[in-house]
Amino acid sequence: MSTVQKTAATQSQKLMIFVLTMSLYGLATLFTELIPKFQVGLVEFSVEYFLFIPLTLSMLFDPLSAALGAATGELVFSEIMLGQFGGLGELEKFLTVTIGVYIAGRLVRDPKNRAMVGVAAITGTAAQLLMGTIVDIAKVQFAVEDFEAVAGLPESVFATEGFAFLNDLLFSGIFFCLLPTLYLVPKLYGKIEPLLGMAPRVAASTTSGLSPKAILTCVIGFVCAIVAELAATAGMSLIDWEAEWAESGTALAAGMVVATALAVIILLVMKKNGERNAVC
Amino acid sequence: MEHMMSKLSESILDKFSMDFLRSQVLKNAYGNDDTVIAALDPRILIVWYLFFGVVPWFVNDLSFLLGCFLLVMVTTLLAHVAGLVLFLFALGVFSQTGYLFLATLLFGGDASAIPPLLVLTLKVATISLASVTVFSGLDPDRLSNGLMWYGCPERLSFSICYAYRMLPMLMEEFQNVLLSYRLRGNPPAHDTLWGKVRYLIYQVKIIMESFYPLMLNTAKRSRTTVEALELRGYRYAAVNKTVKKIKLSALKVSYNDLLFLALSALWVALCIFCSTLF
Repeated sequence: MSTVQKTAATQSQKLMIFVLTMSLYGLATLFTELIPKFQVGLVEFSVEYFLFIPLTLSMLFDPLSAALGAATGELVFSEIMLGQFGGLGELEKFLTVTIGVYIAGRLVRDPKNRAMVGVAAITGTAAQLLMGTIVDIAKVQFAVEDFEAVAGLPESVFATEGFAFLNDLLFSGIFFCLLPTLYLVPKLYGKIEPLLGMAPRVAASTTSGLSPKAILTCVIGFVCAIVAELAATAGMSLIDWEAEWAESGTALAAGMVVATALAVIILLVMKKNGERNAVC
Repeated sequence: MEHMMSKLSESILDKFSMDFLRSQVLKNAYGNDDTVIAALDPRILIVWYLFFGVVPWFVNDLSFLLGCFLLVMVTTLLAHVAGLVLFLFALGVFSQTGYLFLATLLFGGDASAIPPLLVLTLKVATISLASVTVFSGLDPDRLSNGLMWYGCPERLSFSICYAYRMLPMLMEEFQNVLLSYRLRGNPPAHDTLWGKVRYLIYQVKIIMESFYPLMLNTAKRSRTTVEALELRGYRYAAVNKTVKKIKLSALKVSYNDLLFLALSALWVALCIFCSTLF
């Protein structure tokens, strides 16, 4: 069997790309989670963005595996390992990172073309950041009760989120995504692919180019993220209504207390009996 | 005074070394197997987490949220979570809402912004403490088995196990690469302000550059890993029902698990009762 195969990655090579991106980006996001951010006024200086790692890898290898690997790596290393798993918010992060990296990877036809790499890197970053900003604004709007009634809050949310977007794009986007990607892609091109048993990506390869189908997939993914938000709002009004119904009856709450207390007592007794039986 | 300051910053930097981070992460993963929380069944804990990770987000009642917060605080204490994780939690909560409060004040808001923000803070804190309890309190293998039982993709549980095993090695390798770059490099003088800025840029640049050898090394390693997995029939085993059954047969629900659920339910019921009274 030859060590260098055709550009279309096999299943095991896709798994290799997944594992590679996951470990590297996971490690990097772990650092960013640990390094304290420092703020000067509203400007936040943080090494928040190691996105250049999955961007680089998605331009060199199969974009989808790299994108999924990056999102999983971030989820596992920096959220689950540090116990910062946030439920619904993580789904959106997962989707936005996947889409951003995937778009960047599909945009690049020829990794040796620096202009193309640069445009793709900044496009992917901007797409990811923009989606994150939209979701963030929506989340604060839904979570805070009487959002419009609190003086100064709506403006401050829009202003801080919009500012954070621009700040991230211009500061982190250029220094931590664009420049390292421009440095790493040409340097790694042709060197890292043989290590995974693949041929380097060329202009004619099948994985490059942004097809309408790929764009459609990305749009559907983002719609999923928004639908998750909307579902959360719909669910919120539903549960609120139920809570109001429950509040009308103190008796019902008292009943619940008695029932659960009974359950605790029964379980304690059963446990004791079980232990006694085990001893005898 | 200056001497003291320099000593203080030195001791903080000492604490924040790579080895410290590594030991904290390892302690978080494998250092608390003997706690009450770690002994519970992972499936039960995931159900418990689903309640405390989702419900507080939708409830706006202050006494209910306060009750939930107290409960997850107790479970977090029971889980003996590493100090670093708790510090990060505090930082995260502040950066999410404390920062928003300051911005609100800046835009002409007053004390009326406090109650909604307190509700938001309690929500965020409860949800993240619940996740700290479950995801830091549990052994990674047990956690991934529990997730697998619920039908999570095999990829995810594989990633969790792999991540915990590989992370110390990856960190060590990254540190070695970084140190070798530092040994060979010539950092700019950093006495003046401009020199300090250049020094910072130099450090960041070294970190970026050290990812180049790291990427090549990790590529080799991930090929070895995947080939070893393939030899053991990983991709077929991942979708095979019998294999999954054998793997998950170690999970057992005991009275302790049910008792934990019942006690949590009792506490929540008490909170609801209180919130209807007042």
